[in-house]
Amino acid sequence: MGIIPLALRLNRNRNMKEERQMKNKGGIVVITVLALLIGLIISVQISTTESSDVGGLIPVGKLVGLEQQLKDLRTEKETIMQEYLELEARLEEIEQKNLSENALMQVVTQDLEKYKMGSGVVDVVGPGIIVTVDDPIPIEGNPGDGYSTIMVRYDLLLSLVNKLKDAGAEAISINGQRIIATTEISLAGDNVNINAIPTAPPYTIKAIGNPDTLESTLTIRYGIVETMRNNYGLQVSLSKQKELTIPRYSGVIKFRYAKAVDEVTETVEE
Amino acid sequence: MKRKLRLLLMFAFCLLLGFSLIVLSKMTNGQHLYVSTKVVDDYKITIEGERQDMENLKTLVEDAQKKLDEYEALAEANEDLTRELEERMLADIAFYQLASGSVAARGPGVVVMIDDGDRELESWEDPNDILVHDLDLLLIINELKASGAEMISVNGQRLVDETSISCSGYTVRINEQFFARPFIIKAIGDGSRMSAALIGPGGYGTWLKEWGLLFKVKITDDILIPKYTEERNYKYMGAVDKVKEGGNN
Repeated sequence: MGIIPLALRLNRNRNMKEERQMKNKGGIVVITVLALLIGLIISVQISTTESSDVGGLIPVGKLVGLEQQLKDLRTEKETIMQEYLELEARLEEIEQKNLSENALMQVVTQDLEKYKMGSGVVDVVGPGIIVTVDDPIPIEGNPGDGYSTIMVRYDLLLSLVNKLKDAGAEAISINGQRIIATTEISLAGDNVNINAIPTAPPYTIKAIGNPDTLESTLTIRYGIVETMRNNYGLQVSLSKQKELTIPRYSGVIKFRYAKAVDEVTETVEE
Repeated sequence: MKRKLRLLLMFAFCLLLGFSLIVLSKMTNGQHLYVSTKVVDDYKITIEGERQDMENLKTLVEDAQKKLDEYEALAEANEDLTRELEERMLADIAFYQLASGSVAARGPGVVVMIDDGDRELESWEDPNDILVHDLDLLLIINELKASGAEMISVNGQRLVDETSISCSGYTVRINEQFFARPFIIKAIGDGSRMSAALIGPGGYGTWLKEWGLLFKVKITDDILIPKYTEERNYKYMGAVDKVKEGGNN
């Protein structure tokens, strides 16, 4: 090999290097364009799933709207309740004014208060406990099947209420629904109805009674709270309260089938 | 030098990418960025519930307003308001006596009989499997209420808002009194609807029967349900003062 070919080759080598560099630059441009395109596609994809809610996950922004809606509704409900209480107060005033001279009617009024209390149509206040029950936190190992544990096992709520009554609770409400003699807790379609009102977790159960008795009845070993926590992974928390308010039954009580019976005939029949 | 710089840049870029991926995944996992459909569904149900509850309250307001208007009309017409009020008061008392279970009631409905199973046990079974438990009673009663029962009694004990049903050994305690099998549940209401809910396909009664317990439902025209015999003494709760409540609720 002579010198010239070597020089030539060197030269060619340099040429190739330059060429390669040129090609490299071209590659970078292509990659940049591709990356831009992919980025664009991904963002388009995300924005389409965001708007359609079909995926398993929903952006938290949607929740904020719902939260606000719920808050507005509750405020509105509060206003209506206030209006109702004012009307009731005015009615009572009229009744008092007109019946105050009648001693018999005074007794009757007291009786009426007692029966109304027993029917659950009076807002009540007293010491007690607040129990909150929520579904298990979805974790990687157990993401849940999209169903609410506490809704499917609504019998746990039924049991819980029964235990509270057993412990001497005088008034109970679940998510604002007062438990009266005819209150059901039933799975209707996808939601749990209480007093025919659809409810969903988290469940807040309020009970008026002796706070210590109520709490220890629930938290007894192998008791209802332990079962809820250990067997179903539910989040349960209890807090004793010096004073809590339980709302009245908000529905209208109607008897279409039942009629009151005179005590005398009753004893004869039995 | 150029190569080194490029490597450095590449490294920094990869680092950034890695970091952002971690941050992204953390945010998603911790439910900060996204929530499951269930949470949204729960919100929607709660909103629907609140709306229905509000409708109920509106009915209450309307009723109260109507009553008030009537009173005012009577007062304007110079009618004897006292007598009218007395009458209403007595009607109210009769109604809330019935609602609170302080008076016996009668009407059409169903009689449900439930008893321990009498079949032989398989070797792997537990005797508990064919015994009636408090939860069985609770679920049947709940089913009756859901299908419109107006009044219910179990073995002659009127169920009121504070009635609990609890198993204690061989007996079941209802309203502080002890009862043993068989259990007779009487309910006043729409008989065919209540019995269909219990013994229809998927009903709790059907399920109990398949399990081997004894379960019978009879639709009857005339059921007598006794009054609640316990004294109602409230040690802990009192009515909320209507005027005072205006401020703090």
